[in-house]
Amino acid sequence: METWFPAAVWLALALTATLISIWFRIATALSEIVVGTAAQLFLGILVGGALVGLDEPWVKFLAGTGALMLTFLAGAELNPDIFKMKWKETTVIGLASFLSPFLGCAAIAYYVLGWDPRASWLAGVALSTTSVAVVYAVMLEFRLNTTTYGKTILAACFITDLGTVLALGLIFSPFTIRTVVFLAVSVVVFIALPYVTPGFFRRYGGRPSETEAKFLLLLLFSMGALAAWAGSEPVLPAYIIGMVLAGSVGKDHVLIRRLRTVTFGLLTPFYFIRAGSYVSVPALIGAPVTFPVLLLGKMVAKFAAVYPATLVFKSPGKEGMYTTLLMSTGLTFGSISALFGLSNNIIDRTQYSLLVAAVIASAVVPTIIANAYYLPRHLLMKAPEEKANPTLNRHGKNSATPTPHGDRP
Amino acid sequence: MIKKILVAFDGSEESDKAFTLALDIASKYSAQVLVISVARPPEPPIAVEMGAVLEAASEYYAKQAGGLLERAASLGISPRFEVRIGHPAEQIVLLANEEDADMIVMGHRGGGSFLQRWRLGSIARRVMNYAQCSVVVVR
Repeated sequence: METWFPAAVWLALALTATLISIWFRIATALSEIVVGTAAQLFLGILVGGALVGLDEPWVKFLAGTGALMLTFLAGAELNPDIFKMKWKETTVIGLASFLSPFLGCAAIAYYVLGWDPRASWLAGVALSTTSVAVVYAVMLEFRLNTTTYGKTILAACFITDLGTVLALGLIFSPFTIRTVVFLAVSVVVFIALPYVTPGFFRRYGGRPSETEAKFLLLLLFSMGALAAWAGSEPVLPAYIIGMVLAGSVGKDHVLIRRLRTVTFGLLTPFYFIRAGSYVSVPALIGAPVTFPVLLLGKMVAKFAAVYPATLVFKSPGKEGMYTTLLMSTGLTFGSISALFGLSNNIIDRTQYSLLVAAVIASAVVPTIIANAYYLPRHLLMKAPEEKANPTLNRHGKNSATPTPHGDRP
Repeated sequence: MIKKILVAFDGSEESDKAFTLALDIASKYSAQVLVISVARPPEPPIAVEMGAVLEAASEYYAKQAGGLLERAASLGISPRFEVRIGHPAEQIVLLANEEDADMIVMGHRGGGSFLQRWRLGSIARRVMNYAQCSVVVVR
């Protein structure tokens, strides 16, 4: 009874969030965060209590597993070939995209907002992220995803997020012998996995008993346990395991689909609704200027570092500008970082609320603006060509077609 | 003279009517038919979820294409299908420009809910505003 009732409440919230995401055609994760916040707000007003089962161990377990699976699957989307081919460019752009907002936002939190040093570093980590999905969506729209430029930018986003999870996993944990053991074991596991896993799957995979899923969950839980034992964050090994297995597991679409079903159907709703339920609306209303300051800091810092880097590597001008702006988005890793900070008492609930609001705004604001002031972007991009080459086709319109820029691989 | 017709298809009843009209026009003018379906990523696109949404959309449109092909074949027309990703109006206008289409045929309202239309605006109106060829909106 005491488990099934809260479970039913959480799943009702998850279903509500999913329906809202379908009606408004917004991301389910965003909808779940908002539903979690709203549910907590109304419960707080009506009965003065917390969302049922919020701090129950099983809710924490499901939410934590959701974060692990999500980061693993996100890492597995990496294209290892382009990373090997363009490692210099991806590393420079990715590191610039991480370091600038990390240091910039930490400085804003410390010097402008007066947060303590650990909270400021956490703000830097939470706002250093880049949403690979946002950048990828735009690459698909412009069909830059098949160009070397597009692939390089995408791989750079993975480096940025790697910087985020490394910072999250290492900055806030005490450096002890446990850290050394964790790092040493991790290095061995990460090197061995790409060789061991495909062979294991060939030998035992493809059965109804779902050997692959059990093997991957064992890996994620074991490395997560080791990370927690060392005082680090379990999503760190999960993301790197995803990256090192991107060339094998990441290409197995059937397996990825099965993992997605479990992740979205059961696990991530618990994670995002829980993350949303800790957002305090009164705290946001009480400091209305703070989260826009954090958001602006993130966008300016990203732009200042990434745009010059993309120019160095000869990105096409307007797309370079556009994708640079998009690299200042980020929801998944931003919310994971903020929740890590709250769970480990690095930040308080007000700071958490402000950080999550800034993280959500960084993901939402660009798309709201794009829809509110809709313009056909491909025609805008074509404008300079039209001036240079005013050749008209049989309709009396310009014949220059907007082809994907950048060199083909 | 109409040589190439672009049909916007989203699986809705209106877009099905648009396809029927496009076949009718194409059979009269011996025109080529190009069918575009647009998969729209969730906003904001979120890691992993976006891939799942786009895969599901692509599969859905691939299934729909089978039925449309049969109907077109009965009139001796072989339409070409293209699934694009992005804002529907943007992608429809873009493909029409790229393919130098003479006409765009589309439904008045797609399969979206009232809330989706409120958020995304009228696709047909945006296509009419920005297209550089004739646009037929089927009701």
